[in-house]
Parts: sequence; structure tokens; C-alpha cells
Amino acid sequence: MTLREINDVEDLYEYLYAAIQLEHATIPPYITSMYTMKPNSNLEAYNVIRVIVVEEMLHLTLAANVLNAIGGAPNLIKEGFVPEFPTYLPNGEEDFEVNIESFSPKTIDNFLMIERPAREYQDGHVPKQFTSFKNTSRKRILPTYISAEGEEKHFYSIGEFYAFIGEGLTKLSLKLGEEEFFKGDPERQITPEYYYSGGGEIIPVTNLESALEAIRLISEQGEGFEGAIYDNEGELSHYYRFEQIKLGRYYLAGDTAGNPKGKELTIDWDAVYNIKTNPKMEDYPEESELYEANVKFNTYYKNFLAKINDAFNGNPQNLIPAIGEMFVLKNMAYELIHNPIPGKEGVYGAPTFEVDKVPEISKV
Amino acid sequence: MDINLIEFQFFLKLSEKLTAFTSFQLQGTGVAEAYYSTVKNVVGVTIFQELIDTFNKIQTDSDDETSLDKEIRHRILSNSKLGPVARNIIKMWFVGTWYQLPNYWLEKYGVSNSDSTFVVSENAYKEGLLWPTIGAHPMGAKAPGYGTWEDPPKIPTV
Repeated sequence: MTLREINDVEDLYEYLYAAIQLEHATIPPYITSMYTMKPNSNLEAYNVIRVIVVEEMLHLTLAANVLNAIGGAPNLIKEGFVPEFPTYLPNGEEDFEVNIESFSPKTIDNFLMIERPAREYQDGHVPKQFTSFKNTSRKRILPTYISAEGEEKHFYSIGEFYAFIGEGLTKLSLKLGEEEFFKGDPERQITPEYYYSGGGEIIPVTNLESALEAIRLISEQGEGFEGAIYDNEGELSHYYRFEQIKLGRYYLAGDTAGNPKGKELTIDWDAVYNIKTNPKMEDYPEESELYEANVKFNTYYKNFLAKINDAFNGNPQNLIPAIGEMFVLKNMAYELIHNPIPGKEGVYGAPTFEVDKVPEISKV
Repeated sequence: MDINLIEFQFFLKLSEKLTAFTSFQLQGTGVAEAYYSTVKNVVGVTIFQELIDTFNKIQTDSDDETSLDKEIRHRILSNSKLGPVARNIIKMWFVGTWYQLPNYWLEKYGVSNSDSTFVVSENAYKEGLLWPTIGAHPMGAKAPGYGTWEDPPKIPTV
């Protein structure tokens, strides 16, 4: 997908599809790294990552709410929605890959790349929105953007990508009139009664104010508020949460980037199942139980996405039962990760998340 | 304790027969190695080896599943030395607890002071095969999500 300047509602639909895809694409790598930790080891690191994963799920849901509010329809079952790993997020250029791999210092570096704040923030300057597009070879984790002049550019960070969406929302709301623009059926919104303990409060989106609030929450949880390591709600942003694992120390309120002064965070990098990096179905012998269990996982995951999709498309009450399935998936993932690949002693299996390669088991 | 891979594989095979769960499911619990070490540690290397050797021999001698099943009952479960150990392995897989062996066994074969009733590890309780067998989840662990109590239990095929 190539994104263009936001001139009409259709453009925004594409951006918000990319946003939902982007939020989702971080989840398989994050949860796999958690599940490779050996039982009862690395509990602190596990919890640090867990908080981030749950917030990604909130972001995904918020992006779906914004899309629904402007009359769009989230689509989590489209072919290619779940990327093939290694991948660019969600379909960027050739020099930055996101992997599914075991918990390791290298993996945490990978996650830091995903969540990296814009360089301007790091230099202590707050960028004026949209001035920071660059023709750059910096790791491109976001979609290519073609400017009005036909120039290929790249988003610099996830926060910038969302800032651009926020600007587009404002522009179109002014152009079309707020009421006309936010014409989506409010019944399609995921409201707090359907969303529990999930990384912050779900914001139903019905107008420009709530749409921008949702966008703001996503960006700030991801990369902080105006260059600070904490967001407006006083929560540490994702980049710095991951950095705590890298540096082996927790941040305290008032700390500056790179200098956490909290208590030590203990990590046992060896208490980890060494899985096949970016595993594929064909990595498992076809007759093996591992192979079958992985097909079962992929099928279940595909069906799970279909249920979430159903909840996002007019049946919000179906979200709660669908969420119960995440726990089943977690146990299925653990089972795979605890089993060595037959014939490859010391290398363990893992879910491959290849949902496009399996049939759907049941209609929602 | 180091894992002797070949011996560990035999332990898994024996556990498959004793529990009716597959080796994949058993390893999937993440506690297989802890159970292997527990048995070996409590009953001692000699008796553990005897159990594995007996099972190995039964496998070689048996032509089919029926005779294998019969021989396991005859030569392991009915054996006064190996029977209580095998039954303890079954209980350990299902509930995560190692039960102290019976007195007569201890008097005759006991070698280790570590034989008492204990929960094998923090994970042993929640990984007990009991839970999937009855289509439930361990209370207080492996939460299945808000509101799922509304759904009927899903009993998986074993």
C-alpha cells in the first residue's frame, strides 16, 4: 500500500486501515518474545512487555473506532492483513525488519526500533507537524508516502504517522462539515462496556474532538508527550518501557531519557526457549504434532480475527467472548514453544501466524 | 540435574502410556523436565533406570498396542517396586504433586530423604493434566477471560 496526501475520506480509510494493521503487526513479535521466557523466569520483563501489548490492543481498537466514526469499515480479515514475518511495518521499505524471535537483547533492540521516537524529539525539539518528512534511509517502519509532487517520502515515527492522520481528520472535518464527516453509526463504536482493563480507557469516537483525543492517546502511549519520556497521563511511553529491559533498570518519574534511576530489573537471558526465528509451516515436519498444532493455532487465530472484525463491524457485544479466545491462543502458543522441532534438538517451535495459509474454521 | 536426552525421551514415552496424553502435549506443559528430574531424584538413579529399562524391554517385546498395554499393567503397574513409582508419575502429571511413596515401599526400596509430598514447581499446579481432561482451567491461574464462565466447558479430545 502506498499512502498519499489526505484529500478525501477514502484516503483516510486507507490510513486507518494501515493504522489498524500496524498496531496488530507489533503483537505477534511482542507476545512471542514473552512466551519464550521459561516458566517462572523473567517475570519483570514479561510484565513490562505485557503492558505494551495490551496498549497496542487498545490502539488497534481506538483506530477502529475512528474508522467507524467516519463511515469506514475495519477489515482484519483481508488477505495480507497479518504480515509475513520478517516484515516491514506495515509494508515499508527494504532496510528494517520486524521479526518473530526468542526473547533476547537483539529482540529488544528490534522492539526499540519499532517504538523509536522521532529524532527531532530526541534532539529536544518538538517538530512542527509534517515538517519532518525526509527523503531518508533511516529505518522505515511505516508506509511509503507519495507527496502531491509525486515525491516518495517516509514517515519518521509512528507518532508522526498518527499526527498526519489527526491533521487529515481536522482538514476533512472542516471541509465537509463535522456532522457530515462523522456520519458513522454510533452503534458501531466499541464503548467501555465492551472493553475492560485494556491498557487505558476506550474512547468512543463521534466527533472531531473525540477522534483527535483517540489519536493523541495512541501517539502518546507510544512515544511520549512532546519529547518527554512520560505521556500526558504520566505513563512511561513504549520506547522507554522497552529501554528498561535493555538497561536493566526501571525509570522513575522525573528521570531523563537514557538515565533510569529506579530499581534494578533482573533478567535471565538464558532462561529462554530458543525458537526458530520467523518460523514457517514448512519448518515443521509435516507428519509431526508440532505441524498440526501450528496449523490449529493459525486457524484459531484466523477465526479469532474474524470475531474481532465482527465486533468492530456492528456487533460490539461480541468483543467480550472473542477476547476469551485470546487466552486459548496463549495456551496454544505456549504448547508450541515448549516443544522442540523434531530433528532439530535445542530449537523449539512457535506459532507462525500464517493465517492466509489456512482455511477459516467457522463463520462468525 | 542435567537432562539425559535419551532417557528423557523414554520418560516421555512412558508418560504417554501412563497418561494417554501425547508427548507433544506433555512437553507443551513446560514441566516435563521438572517431572523427569523429580522422579529420578526421589527414587534414585538405580530404580529410575530399572523402570526405564523395563519399559524399553516391554516396548521391544510387544507386537501391538494391546500387548503393550497389557505388559505395562503386568510388568510395571503390578510390580511391587515399579508400580508405586508409575502410579506416582500418573498422579504427578495430573495434579502436579509428588506424593510420598507408601511405607512398605520406603522400607524396602527407599533411598532418598527427599521423598515427601510436595508440589513439584510453581507451574505444576496450573499445568496439571486434570484441567484439560475435565475441560476446565486451574482456579486462580490460566484465567480464561471475563464472562467465559457463561460458556459450557470445552472438553478436548485426548
